[in-house]
Amino acid sequence: MERYTSIWDMYQKKGMSRRSFIKTCTAMTAMLGLSPSMLSDVVEAAEKRLPVVIWLHGMECTGCTESFIRSASPLPTDVLINMISLEYDDTLAAAQGEPFENHLNEVVKANYGNYFLAVEGAVPTSADGGYCMIGGENFLDRLKTLAAGAKAIITYGSCSSWGGIQAARPNPTQSVEIDDIINNKPIIKVPGCPPIPEVMTGVLAYYTMFGSIPPLDSRDCPTQFFGNRIHDTCYRRAFFNAGMFANSFDDEGAKAGWCLYKLGCRGPETYSSCGSLRWWQGMSYPVQSGYPCIGCTAKNFWDNGPLYSRLPVYAGIQLGNIDKMGAFATGAMAVGITAHMATSTIQKKKRDAKERRERKEAVAKQAADNVSQEEKK
Amino acid sequence: MKRVVVDPVTRIEGHLRLEIQVDESTGKVSDALSSGTEWRGLENIVKDRDPREVWAFIQRICGVCTSAHALASVRAVEDALGIKIPRNAHYIRNIMGGTINSHDHLVHFYHLYAFDWVSPMEALKADPAATAALQKSLLDGYQLPLQGPIQYKFSGYPKIFPQASANYFGAMKDKLQKLVEGGQFGLFAANWWNHPAYKILPPEVHLLAITHYLNLLNLQRDIVIPHVVFGGKNPHPHYVVGGMGCAISMNDMNAPVNTARLDIVAGAIDKTLDMINYYMLPDALAICAIHAKAGSAMDGGGLSGERVIGFGGYPEEPFAGHMDFAKTALVRCDGVVENFAQGVANAKYYPLEGKDFNEKDVIVETSRHSWYKDNADLHPWEGKTNPNYTGDINGDKAHWSYLDQKGKYSWVKTPKWRGKVCETGPLARYIIVYTKVKQSIIAPTWAEQMMVAQIDRVSALLGMPPEKWLPSTVGRTITRALDAQIAANMERFFFDKLVNNIKTGDTTIANTTKWNPSSWTDGEFKGVGMFEAPRGALSHWVVIKDKKVKNYQAVVPTTWNACPIDDESGHGSFEKSMIDTHVAIADQPLEIVRAIRSFDPCLACAAHVYNSKKETVANINTDPFIGCSTK
Repeated sequence: MERYTSIWDMYQKKGMSRRSFIKTCTAMTAMLGLSPSMLSDVVEAAEKRLPVVIWLHGMECTGCTESFIRSASPLPTDVLINMISLEYDDTLAAAQGEPFENHLNEVVKANYGNYFLAVEGAVPTSADGGYCMIGGENFLDRLKTLAAGAKAIITYGSCSSWGGIQAARPNPTQSVEIDDIINNKPIIKVPGCPPIPEVMTGVLAYYTMFGSIPPLDSRDCPTQFFGNRIHDTCYRRAFFNAGMFANSFDDEGAKAGWCLYKLGCRGPETYSSCGSLRWWQGMSYPVQSGYPCIGCTAKNFWDNGPLYSRLPVYAGIQLGNIDKMGAFATGAMAVGITAHMATSTIQKKKRDAKERRERKEAVAKQAADNVSQEEKK
Repeated sequence: MKRVVVDPVTRIEGHLRLEIQVDESTGKVSDALSSGTEWRGLENIVKDRDPREVWAFIQRICGVCTSAHALASVRAVEDALGIKIPRNAHYIRNIMGGTINSHDHLVHFYHLYAFDWVSPMEALKADPAATAALQKSLLDGYQLPLQGPIQYKFSGYPKIFPQASANYFGAMKDKLQKLVEGGQFGLFAANWWNHPAYKILPPEVHLLAITHYLNLLNLQRDIVIPHVVFGGKNPHPHYVVGGMGCAISMNDMNAPVNTARLDIVAGAIDKTLDMINYYMLPDALAICAIHAKAGSAMDGGGLSGERVIGFGGYPEEPFAGHMDFAKTALVRCDGVVENFAQGVANAKYYPLEGKDFNEKDVIVETSRHSWYKDNADLHPWEGKTNPNYTGDINGDKAHWSYLDQKGKYSWVKTPKWRGKVCETGPLARYIIVYTKVKQSIIAPTWAEQMMVAQIDRVSALLGMPPEKWLPSTVGRTITRALDAQIAANMERFFFDKLVNNIKTGDTTIANTTKWNPSSWTDGEFKGVGMFEAPRGALSHWVVIKDKKVKNYQAVVPTTWNACPIDDESGHGSFEKSMIDTHVAIADQPLEIVRAIRSFDPCLACAAHVYNSKKETVANINTDPFIGCSTK
């Protein structure tokens, strides 16, 4: 049976007139027991198609979905009712089991090439993908199948964007990011553990308002949400520049809200909106609540050295002796540090790109080996 | 006889598969299997790391009960290192614990569970005026006007209160109709909406509940505000070993906690109480009462009438390690109660004391039917397992037909108390506290008094004694709502304690004397951290050797409930609950998924690695990138 994207689409494809379409809408309005003044709403509903979203959960903790529904603007109901049609999502959908899987197949068929695939969670690649099974099928195969018909992929969270917690050393399940498996689709990466609620819904709101995917940086992250480091926008930055630091949790500096750099803050190399948007629309973010940033939007942040060790120690940056900076640090020194970090970030990007290339080659090689083994059989 | 598979089970955390053997003519379930189908290996990942940072890794076990694992983790490390935290930090952790319990229960009830009771299709038949009248009757007859001690309450009137006008419900019904008729069915698609179980409630209840589903989807974010203020964000707020990081000062305008920040928390607690008292409790009680009176959802009791376990909740004051944990608990559900189904007088209580956690044979885990190599019963500190994934009954690892019930079939292990499987969760907490109070084993705290009053009032409302309604799907559903009321009152109680303590001049938030690892001696230290989490008794077990994590185990509520069968003591609570649930239509086992969802399953929590000393899981891989040569 041919599928139509909307009732109006059906009328057009069947060569029927706009007039008969409006007549049907009028009849529908009466049939639904709505007042005649609701006709325009019915016409709109019959014409308008919301972008279809299929949301997959792989190796994850569902924290990204939880963050998504914490959005204040737009509110979660408004996203679900007026911005997208969330046709498949393990966490929120009413249906389950076989009928749910059948529905997925129908939605994919009807919207092939046009739906967005939102992915929360990493992909385990060892043990035949058996570390994550959904509907009796491994997540790896499911991802490949569903990515094939997607218009674009949104990777929500650090797991689908970078591999995340399960990919931390020693990566027992050999989990990888979506980008390592899918090579031929536009990917919008929205990292964070979890990302800020309004950053998650913001990507969809952009599409709703501007009809395209938002501008992305070289890592495929939306620039308007990941364009600055927390350090660049941190409300405690002035204390860093002035050399005023908390030296331990609960000392005078901690109470006064001074810079947490010496307690291991990753703000200087973490690209995130924590300092600008903050959480709960400006209410707080970890630094404001007294905790050094753990760098959760950054690639491999779990393995960038112990969380409470200072940046110079793990990043191999020779910063000079920050302990001696004290309250008399000069602005010039602070500028020097910033410049140094900018350099290190560029180097890190290059390193990441190289790693990614190597991993992709290895994945491709493994796939080729599997094929040749199959052929031998 | 038909074997019915439900996979994926949706509206839960993580990946769960159910297989049931059901007689199509009688609707009787003769056998059932539950399988956790995901394994991430987090405990192996924290091995050899700095114990002070482990909470952040382990917190990522779950983003739904976010904070629960971080809290149990810092408690375990503090226990091992002998760190007692300051009062302020303890009170703040309890506020955050109450927050997660309130939030988790409310989101579970409306956004993960409600569609097992109410349907948008039925809601379209509702009369808006009758729905408004129904809302009024709920507020008249189904509130539980109970509360804990209150000192600082600024809210002058309820800020969050249900709408009860015909116009409002009419507008909501129109919106719903447009959604349904618009053809883009979204989250409502493909459910068993024609199932007879949806006919038990009148259409007005359906419209009311779905309206509240939408209302509270937007409001629930306010509940977790204490996490945002004290922990910087939610999900996954921050913690610190030794206390908290949110330094307190009434002299600094940039302090993480000062008056303005406390005001934000106070306002959020008031809103939380409104949401639970005016929405969740009346809705849950009314839905369950109508079903109970129709004899529906009174099965599915699982192990609750037989054996439940708890560790104790909300210690009032800072405690010195696990030996001391339950001594000052305001909810003393520490222990096991057997045979509650025989009536509270015949129930048997077994204490679970601090020293029992050190014993080799009190709490153990086995993996005989789980995809791990070692089958012996092991104490969590000695926990030892390597994955041994065998696939389905035919050995197919990537695409399953049915699972092998006689062999290994789940990534969830089987935890046991003195050799026996148990149920845990809010229902268990209520059964244990109710038994202890009614048998005069304890003189009740204010919280325990409130819990007993809640149970007695609900028993009166349902016209049934507790042993009849508690061990059932209905009982599990109601006690979760009751537990939310306790949790929100705990937030209020510990907020008052925090303010009073700051008033004495004490602004200490962290004990940093042992922050620097150079202050620790080398050698081996063991700790266990506990928390009565939304889904039940949670324990994290850590072994620290030479300043690094040597072994880490999380024995999680859903592990207790969702475990595979134990050859000696029988089915775990999920499986038991499915077996005693009657199914009306064999291939639409709505009653089964409703019973399972009454546990609020959290599968990412339930399945994780139990690491061994030297053997690492990576050994099974030969390829450094996608090595999958287990064939």
